[in-house]
Amino acid sequence: MSNAITRRHLFARGATGLGAVAMSHLFADEDGQPKPHFAPRAKRIVYLFQSGGPSQLDLFDYKPLLQEQNGTELPASVRAGQRLTGMSGNQSSFPLAGTQFKFAQHGESRRWVSELLPHTARIVDKLTFVHSMHTEAINHDPAITFLQTGSQLAGRPSLGAWLSYGLGSANRDLPAFSVLVSKNKGGQPLYARLWGNGFLPSAHQGVQFRPGKDRVLYLADPDGVDKTTRRKMLDSLRDLHEAAYERELDPAIRARVEQYEMAYRMQMSVPEVSDVSNEPDHVFDLYGQDARDPGTYAANCLMARRLLERGVRCVQLYHQGWDQHGGLVGAIKGQCRETDQASAALVLDLQARGLLDDTLVVWGGEFGRTNYSQGKLTKSNYGRDHHPRCFTMWMAGGGLKPGYAHGETCEYGYNVVRDPVHVHDLQATILHQLGLDHERLNYRYQGRRFRLTDVHGNVVRPLLA
Amino acid sequence: MPMSATQLVLQSPLRSAVWLRALLGVACLWLTPLAAQAPVDFARDVRPILSDRCFACHGPDAAKREAGLRLDVRDVAVKKLASGRAAIVPGDSTLSELVRRLTVHDPDERMPPAASKLTVSPSEVEVLRRWIDEGAAYTLHWSFAPLPAVVELPKVRQSDWVKNGIDAFVLAGMEREGVAPSPPATSAAYLRRASLALNGLPPTIEQVDRFVADGDAVRAIDELLDSKRYGERMASEWLDIARYADTFGYQSDVERPVWPWRDWVIDSFNTNLPYDEFATWQIAGDLLPNATREQQLATAFQRLHRQTNEGGSVEAEMRLEYVADRTETFATAFLGLTIGCARCHDHKFDPVTQREYYELSAFFNNIDESGLYSHFTRATPTPALSLVTAKQSAEESEAAAQVVELERTLEAYATSSREVAALAAAAHGEGVDGAKEHGHVGTFAFESLAKGALVNAKDAALPGRIGENPALVEGVVGKAIQFKGENWAKFSKVGDFDRHQPFSLAFWLRVPERYDRAVVMHRSKAWTDAGSRGYELLIEDGELSFALVHFWPGNAIRIRANQKLTVDAWTHVTLAYDGSSRADGMTIFVDGEVAETRVIRDCLTRTIQGGGADALTLAERFRDRGLKGGAIDELQVYRRELTRGEVARLSGRGGPATQDEELQFYFRAVHSDYRKKLEDLRQARLRLGRVRDKQAEIMVMREMQTRRATYVRPRGSYLAQGEQVDRGTPAFLPKSEAMDRLALARWLTDPAHPLAARVAVNRIWQMHFGSGLVGTSEDFGSQGAPPSHPQLLDWLARWFINSGWDMKALHRLIATSATFAQGSLASLELRERDPENRLLARGPRYQLSAEVLRDQALWAAGLLVERIGGRPVRPYQPAGLWQEKSGSVYHRAKGDGLYRRSLYTYWKRTSPPPAMMLLDASQRDVCVMRRQSTSTPLQALLMLNDPQFVEPARVWAERLVAASGQEQDLLAGVFRRLTSRAATADELQILTLALQEQRESYRADPQRAQQTATIGDRKPAADVDVVEVASWTMVISMLLNFDEVVRLR
Repeated sequence: MSNAITRRHLFARGATGLGAVAMSHLFADEDGQPKPHFAPRAKRIVYLFQSGGPSQLDLFDYKPLLQEQNGTELPASVRAGQRLTGMSGNQSSFPLAGTQFKFAQHGESRRWVSELLPHTARIVDKLTFVHSMHTEAINHDPAITFLQTGSQLAGRPSLGAWLSYGLGSANRDLPAFSVLVSKNKGGQPLYARLWGNGFLPSAHQGVQFRPGKDRVLYLADPDGVDKTTRRKMLDSLRDLHEAAYERELDPAIRARVEQYEMAYRMQMSVPEVSDVSNEPDHVFDLYGQDARDPGTYAANCLMARRLLERGVRCVQLYHQGWDQHGGLVGAIKGQCRETDQASAALVLDLQARGLLDDTLVVWGGEFGRTNYSQGKLTKSNYGRDHHPRCFTMWMAGGGLKPGYAHGETCEYGYNVVRDPVHVHDLQATILHQLGLDHERLNYRYQGRRFRLTDVHGNVVRPLLA
Repeated sequence: MPMSATQLVLQSPLRSAVWLRALLGVACLWLTPLAAQAPVDFARDVRPILSDRCFACHGPDAAKREAGLRLDVRDVAVKKLASGRAAIVPGDSTLSELVRRLTVHDPDERMPPAASKLTVSPSEVEVLRRWIDEGAAYTLHWSFAPLPAVVELPKVRQSDWVKNGIDAFVLAGMEREGVAPSPPATSAAYLRRASLALNGLPPTIEQVDRFVADGDAVRAIDELLDSKRYGERMASEWLDIARYADTFGYQSDVERPVWPWRDWVIDSFNTNLPYDEFATWQIAGDLLPNATREQQLATAFQRLHRQTNEGGSVEAEMRLEYVADRTETFATAFLGLTIGCARCHDHKFDPVTQREYYELSAFFNNIDESGLYSHFTRATPTPALSLVTAKQSAEESEAAAQVVELERTLEAYATSSREVAALAAAAHGEGVDGAKEHGHVGTFAFESLAKGALVNAKDAALPGRIGENPALVEGVVGKAIQFKGENWAKFSKVGDFDRHQPFSLAFWLRVPERYDRAVVMHRSKAWTDAGSRGYELLIEDGELSFALVHFWPGNAIRIRANQKLTVDAWTHVTLAYDGSSRADGMTIFVDGEVAETRVIRDCLTRTIQGGGADALTLAERFRDRGLKGGAIDELQVYRRELTRGEVARLSGRGGPATQDEELQFYFRAVHSDYRKKLEDLRQARLRLGRVRDKQAEIMVMREMQTRRATYVRPRGSYLAQGEQVDRGTPAFLPKSEAMDRLALARWLTDPAHPLAARVAVNRIWQMHFGSGLVGTSEDFGSQGAPPSHPQLLDWLARWFINSGWDMKALHRLIATSATFAQGSLASLELRERDPENRLLARGPRYQLSAEVLRDQALWAAGLLVERIGGRPVRPYQPAGLWQEKSGSVYHRAKGDGLYRRSLYTYWKRTSPPPAMMLLDASQRDVCVMRRQSTSTPLQALLMLNDPQFVEPARVWAERLVAASGQEQDLLAGVFRRLTSRAATADELQILTLALQEQRESYRADPQRAQQTATIGDRKPAADVDVVEVASWTMVISMLLNFDEVVRLR
């Protein structure tokens, strides 16, 4: 008995004693983190993914011509034979659909924003808009996969996994890549592969934070197991491992001890970061009262801020429901109501905490929507099909130029006419702001060096402050 | 980019980029120390550098080749370049431009260019320099070189260590390096290792005792190979390669039952189907002479790729994705090549041109498939194989025989009673007793659109209706109805026919243009979104096209008119169908005469109903192209097949009815006996259809008769069409006469093929040692890792072929080698010298797979339900995971489904079982030959908290508490069952203390104990001391997390 007890005392918990010494060669300290390629402008990123493809024409890309020509046929010269989806491609006519929403200019930058986004409108001077985004895929699955992993094919790591791999974590007790999905949303499905590690080590998988008891899968101890019970069990397990290590001197056994200690620390740190009860009322006023309801978009935005504050490298939010093929007018209102205030609040909150300078906020979907109505155009309603040829995204902080809008689409809102930004360009730019050269951030797999940006992508310099 | 341990990760260096770099650079050199000045080996030392740093611009890809220089071919590399210098001057590195450019300071001249972000280290330059000075000899890349017919065993000094050929090679390597083999593992450790490797479960204590007693390794290994668990263990690895999943993948991710293929895999391992046949059946089982159902079933391997039904997807684009997946999976699984790069351009590292990629893909591009599976029906995407039970088979034969019999009877009857009937027909004349109205169920004259209703003169109770305002225009008789492409007319019930029902549709049609495609009328839910299920009349490229479809294109009949439809004039069209499900039972009449048609498809074996559509619809279909500007008039609907004479009369066009046609009419419309027989036939066909519709189906490979053309696709895009190519295999591999998949399989399994056996034995080696002789088991190409023991690999490959590709024999050979039997505990010195065990001077140590970890816990607790095969099961999984992604609900199993082996766990691609994913299982989206091995805190949380691991501990604890016996003995028993060895005194002390501590903790709070003692579905035992159960649960749970239980060693 005494042997075991002695061992437990010697192999002290925490970072003192023999244990710490023995482990120092196994676990690099903060300095052992992978290093960025150059001085980063942003240390972390939060990506507010608006899944389904929000209509740029009803939110940001103001096209009075469409209202003037509402109901008339999309000129063939504008479409120029480009492919459409099988959903509207066989329509006998393509009636132009002007937005039903009022647009106004806001801020010193005089940015056009529709009435759907009053909160975003108030912060336009802090935002960097890209009106000239374009992508290659025309359907949700390939398009989201493309935006998140740089390839339409399955099996590649996502942006967050690349960042975890490239930059490591600034908080060893929280996952470097955290994922939040708005609850109770229908619409186009999401897939675990979007936050997957692809061929990178599975440690770079996004870890989903969910509402409820188990904020992270398997975090909660089994029924009846309290902290003391668990601690004692882990201590005994450590004793077993120590005995094995003494016998075998296999460093992997020591590594296993640390693996269980990290797990134990996560059981503390995750509930701590998830507990918003000590957030003051004015925070909920800022994000909206939805933020009190775990799992809503607003609550996830607040959660994102808490994770970022604690050094999480990449927080990826998903909000489904932007896929308005028909009945757009009603549906988009609901989407905006759910997301507008909290998105703006996150930017303001990060700024108030001095975090916006080195946090990159990204807002956007996987493609845009058509300027013609899918299905029937009525006086009060219309639908819009997928449109990969142009869409709008906004970003904030992270060393980008605030109050700036990049690129331009034609007066029909169909084609990019100035400064196109390809998905790979966006990815290269995001990596660049985080101090990573997208051409050097690669991983050898199946005999070739894979990159987030495949063999493409250019940093969009004009976006940088 | 090095990994960091502080980012919640403890990463095995084997998988990291650092290691790969080391492997390619330093490690190779370390195995053949440069200090010894052994000659530089091109394949081992030089090619990896050139390939990795130079080939991208100076390699096989002709399109990207700079300065006309290629370094992968010696003749070109030594030639004078435009500059007048040669990259390589054999024998003189100082004159070689290559060396100069690698070392020059001028950034404009320096190679690799800065933009490539690649560098060649000084030591690597030194290797190149020496190689050039030694004559710059090129050798074929090792894995492409012929597999020697005989590989001599090397001479070794310590020959008494050698148990079989494997050991000779391994020992020779060790002796070269001055390293000695590790002492053998204990009997218990050896048996545990072999049992986990071959059966995926540990041995029982009885098995261990027996082996300790008799020491008969061959007997012990044979028992493992004879166990049915062997097939399950092998299959669970093959499922990764086959990207097996129970759902289609992509976003909707609908279920598709392909598990019968998985069961075939298990069975073929257990019956020890030789590997060449195992491969051949999966590649081309359908093409084997008199292919059995099993041989066809095996080809489902090629259909397991992801498939989509996402609305609006481009069918042609997706179909090419499927072909690409099949091609690339074939290359990776059987050739160990990653040829995906060559889809868009010539391969940059391996000698595979883009053209060759498409030549290979042409083998897999000839099945009658669609790029989309059906959203609205559950049709199995074609080609499909019916999986019939013996009973179903008998049922089907009987029903089919009845149909044939009745068809014969009718034919004979018509012939025998011809004379009598002809007289009767002549006397009868047309229209008597309303005969021509027989089966006439709809007449729509389109004279009014009042209230959106279309009057049915035949049945006032079944009018048609319109949508989106079609217009009335001048028609052939009175008014006609005209459409805009998005509006329609629908007729419920009137035209709701299945394939056994003879029917006819007659109408006038006017079209304003020569449509590429337009829907004239149909009874179906949708086009691609429903696999076109139903019947339809389209205009395709100006031609009338009539089809009955279960799933387009593979299960359908379609005929198409040879003449294009006249534009801007009224044409009378009649479709007549005889209920036979054969293309020759379909007729298109144009203006009273039979139109010349050609058969497009002639295979309809299942229902054409379902999918939520029952109304005959004119001029519009969901997401299809409507009849824009077209008009229709005087629509007649019949529940029988009209005769030519009747059609002529209906249209007022065409020649008068012949005597034969009158006779035909008489039979079908008047003659009661004939009509009764016709009805009997309809019933018989209906019965046969029902029998068939009940049979399960699975996707398989089946060649189309007319070969689909394959084209080079510039940049891999379906929109770009390059030159047409024929089937072929890459030129750097042995020449083939392969003209179909069967010939391709024969080519692959030819004893002279350099890759097939090497790749297979390497993968099997990997199952024993955790890592292959070639570390990159998925890449035997130029960028892959070189083999640690090239001669051993060749010897094993040849041995395997000579054994008749006997997989069990190969496993036996490896498992009974002295190499495998070594202890895994390395001395510090050896570990430092050879951290990754490339010398094989010790036994393997690696973390058990996700499947084995869970199975082991269930097995140890006596919970494992061992039943082979069947539908996938849904064990515990945290609630809401499917819901939050897609709204579907995971209904977890009750009872046995919770406790089956993990290879039966339901695999939903867009939300795979989280426990498996955390434990490094592959995603099953694409072919994977080798899993990651990582160690994360999330794994620890899983194994501590998931009911899949805690319930076994609880159930086992209950049994122990109920058992009599000393606590020490019980603890020792648990330890031994899990580790296969006796606990040391020290360990027993720790366990005793642990149990004591847990007891104290739970005794203080019996309510908690009650909770812990009832975890999981398995009914808790009555009248047990819950404090005891809870305490034991925690101790067992702890042991399930003990390194020696979690890792094979």
